[in-house]
Amino acid sequence: MSLDGLVAGLLASDGTEEWAARTPHRLESLLSAMPLPSRAGIRAAARAIDAYALVRTGRRLGGLTPAEREGVLAALGARPRLQPMLDVLKVPVLLAAGTERLAGRAAPPTAPVPADPPLDCTPAHAWPRRSTADAVVIGSGAGGAMAARTLARAGARVVVVEEGAHHSTASFGRRAPLDRFTDLYRDGGATIALGDPPLLLPVGRAVGGTTVVNSGTCYRTPAHVLARWTQQYGFAAAAQLDAFLDEAERTLHVGPQSLDVLGANGRIALAGAAALGWRAAPLRRNAPGCRGSCQCVVGCPTGAKQSVQLSVLPDACAAGARIVTGARVLRILVDPGRPGGPRAAGVRVAVSGGAGRRGDDSAESEILAPLVVVAAGALQSPALLRRSGLGRHPRLGRNLSVHPATSVAGRFAEPVTAWEGVLQSVGVEELHSRGVLIEATATPPGMGSFVLPGVGRELRDELEDAGRLATLGAMVADLPSGRVLGRDRVLVRYGLSPRDADRLLHAVRAMAQLLFAAGAQEVLTGIPVAPRARSVRELDAILGRVGPRQLHLSAYHPTGTVAAGADPQRAPTDGTGRLRGVHGVVVADGSLLPSCPEVNPQLSIMAAALAVAEAHTGG
Amino acid sequence: MSRGTRFRETMTGSMRLTTSGRVSPVRLDLRASADHVLRPFGTTLARVEGRVRVAGLADDPAASGELEISPLAARRIRYRLAFTAGGRRLVLDGWKSITPRHPVRSMTVLPFTLYEDDEPLGTGTLRFRARALPSFLAGFRFPRREDPDALTAARWRGAPGRTEVWYTTVTDPATGTGLWLHHELTAPADGSAAYAHGWAAVFPKGAPVRHARFGPVPWKPEDRGFAADGVRAVPGRLAGAAGAMNWDLTEQPEAAPLFTFPRWSWRRPLLPAAQILPAARATYEGTVRYEDGTLELTGAPGASARIYGHGNARRWSWLHADLGGGDVLEIVAAVSTRPGLRRLPPLVFLRLRRDGRTWPRRPERSAIGWAGALRFRADIGLPTWTVTGRAGLRRIRVTVTQPEDRTLALEYTDPDGARATCRNCERADAQVRLDRWWGRWRPEADWRLDGTAHAEVGTR
Repeated sequence: MSLDGLVAGLLASDGTEEWAARTPHRLESLLSAMPLPSRAGIRAAARAIDAYALVRTGRRLGGLTPAEREGVLAALGARPRLQPMLDVLKVPVLLAAGTERLAGRAAPPTAPVPADPPLDCTPAHAWPRRSTADAVVIGSGAGGAMAARTLARAGARVVVVEEGAHHSTASFGRRAPLDRFTDLYRDGGATIALGDPPLLLPVGRAVGGTTVVNSGTCYRTPAHVLARWTQQYGFAAAAQLDAFLDEAERTLHVGPQSLDVLGANGRIALAGAAALGWRAAPLRRNAPGCRGSCQCVVGCPTGAKQSVQLSVLPDACAAGARIVTGARVLRILVDPGRPGGPRAAGVRVAVSGGAGRRGDDSAESEILAPLVVVAAGALQSPALLRRSGLGRHPRLGRNLSVHPATSVAGRFAEPVTAWEGVLQSVGVEELHSRGVLIEATATPPGMGSFVLPGVGRELRDELEDAGRLATLGAMVADLPSGRVLGRDRVLVRYGLSPRDADRLLHAVRAMAQLLFAAGAQEVLTGIPVAPRARSVRELDAILGRVGPRQLHLSAYHPTGTVAAGADPQRAPTDGTGRLRGVHGVVVADGSLLPSCPEVNPQLSIMAAALAVAEAHTGG
Repeated sequence: MSRGTRFRETMTGSMRLTTSGRVSPVRLDLRASADHVLRPFGTTLARVEGRVRVAGLADDPAASGELEISPLAARRIRYRLAFTAGGRRLVLDGWKSITPRHPVRSMTVLPFTLYEDDEPLGTGTLRFRARALPSFLAGFRFPRREDPDALTAARWRGAPGRTEVWYTTVTDPATGTGLWLHHELTAPADGSAAYAHGWAAVFPKGAPVRHARFGPVPWKPEDRGFAADGVRAVPGRLAGAAGAMNWDLTEQPEAAPLFTFPRWSWRRPLLPAAQILPAARATYEGTVRYEDGTLELTGAPGASARIYGHGNARRWSWLHADLGGGDVLEIVAAVSTRPGLRRLPPLVFLRLRRDGRTWPRRPERSAIGWAGALRFRADIGLPTWTVTGRAGLRRIRVTVTQPEDRTLALEYTDPDGARATCRNCERADAQVRLDRWWGRWRPEADWRLDGTAHAEVGTR
């Protein structure tokens, strides 16, 4: 089915602008990267709108004049119950439209980027079908990279198996943000945590894992969280985590973001906080030479952000580690019946891009190793363990903790041009003790979690006027209230707890306060039924009649699904990251963290992985 | 006693060299042997030897390595083979991953990687072809695995009228001198106390035979073998003194046990007597001193044998011939003393171990043939005796000559007090001719032993 009519209707396009004409094609390519259920859902919604137009006018959307389309969509937009469906359609359309609009305004030529430090990457189809190693690390994200480096430096022959591909900094500079978006994220960025409300939970998939696409914000694990992990959960490795956090910070060159490239978005947040007397400061980030490209979430095009494929993995490769890309681990091989219990023997890997027929085992490869480090991320690790026959622990896959997040935009009199500057620039920690962390976050148009209100002409006007918007995001520390199901396909369920729902509403109010304090004329709430508020009082009235289900929610930083802990009944891994019930399997990623880290977790995951790997090497 | 597993496997395929991208045919011809019977639900480790051929790169007939067979437990059959290619030492490492979804393919396809100094040199895939299946299945053997030390231990448990012998014969390759050490336990049939005795004899080249006796002394049980009067014959060690002679030798078994008589007759002593060799071949090191000389043995070939039974035969002949290259011929031809049996011609037990396999396959075959027909025949006499026989597609003729001047005559005493005369020569000559039927009898092998055969003829 053609999406031209839908795109033209949503964006009130008369077909004369070039960028709007290109948008449907861009949208198709975006949809093709999404998993089947998301794709089917979006197409079904588009069909429903088409059918509505057919019933109302006798013609499909594509056959209507711009004015007629406007009328059809306005009639739909007037029905509050249909708002969620329209939003499902707006997110990908805005993403595609934002990309095409920016593509029109040719990106400014950037200075030549330095070459990336060398990595020893081999595509899976060129990797031997039978090989051996001392340790196999599954996943090359924050945890996997750190574990690989530690093991390789200890003298082990390490093979890192990564499902995604390797992307160089130069390749980021060459390609449009949306092209990178679909390559760098699992499911084209459309990973959904099912629940009421559902959460968009984007996770990276590339050499470097989510660190390639995160915002580069590097918080140390708060002391009270470390104390809770050690004392309440018996996560023994957390006791020395401070030293490992130091090491992770050194590796990533973490420092406060300099003000020169901070951008107007960050300055507005600082100004608002100053006016309110709130604690706020430029974030500590791992991007020492950041030029404010505002493209963190689709791979830093200047190589300033020290994602692990630029900082940790080169060290690992220099110590002898090798990376296999495009290789999905089908299962961890386990030798049962060994004296002392079952023991990991290696991994079986599905090769993508090879010549093998479907179902042919020539598209599979095996790497034997006595040590398997699981670092596939909190969403994939439980499924991997289940399909390896290691998922018997009743708490495996449970205890999923995320940071539910929402964002609010403020319209200012002056142009803000939020996409020029640092993507995530300023942290407002005033409410952190109450579980709310506000971070000034601007994204390339369409890529953020903030969804512009309205459809048709209204949406078009908002899009045109996006240059005057400043965006703040807030994430709340949750109670672990999610669960990862599935063996081959991952199904995430998340039930937002009432406490966290209150925190979200509280966060929306705080962000609006901040924006008004900084001089915003109005605040876009992101609530479809009441998209605008002109004062805090007006907002309070809105928040009084809506619940968190009306908010646009996304979630980040999944952790805790293979939690470490001293209690064998409650924790699938022991205090040093060893999976219970089998020898030779160590967990070294976010799934290890016993509860919500309450801050952006890259440093926490890296330090935990370092602690686990050091414990294993006896260091 | 347990059983091992032996089988042969041939796989063909191809490999690609990483550097040049050249694709070469590969062929493996492997012989695997495990110390126990394959455990289908467990893991079996096996040694593997054979030939590796990689076109244009290697043809090594002496490849060796190991095999890890775990089709159900670990679902993996792993091959690791080291071989030489033009002076380079290469290792082939690969495994079949068994999956119930593709039982046949996963059991027959072997992807592998070739390494040199732990660096991958190339990868490839080998396949077990269906046409090789019949010979593969037919080639499975589950050979018994004897503990040679257990075969050396004393058998006698106090019954009267028994005799038990540990004897060793050696040829010194440097001087051509023969050595015979005989240790005997006799439990008289009248119930009187068992006694141990024996002798040592040296057969120097160009000099008269020397011998000296030790014992008799009362028998004291010794678990590992024979020990009496300061003379010991235990696994790995032979030492003692008799008269002017003394000896101290170490024994290194070089081959698997050889059952000259049917295996059951050693386990259950139903025959009048039975003889076995704990190791079909052995080498000896050490010193033997006798009244006018010293014998320094270094890697001297020979064998130790054991006899347990009711006494000596009525007439007998015995041959142990080391044919070289690991091949051994052992013959015992004997006429029983028992009424009735003594009227029969000699029963011939002939065992030819060649290339690790023993012919005829069953010891009974040479002794009784098929109900007497086609049994092997012995013509016992002196100085020359012969054995001839035919089994399957092979026939053999053995001619043994024991020259009078190299022969030592001794008198044996049976448990019942009867006497026999034995003429023993550790420097006998022997001629062995083996023919194979292929349209007609064609010579297959011909061995001539000049003064290195060990033989004995006993009469009454």
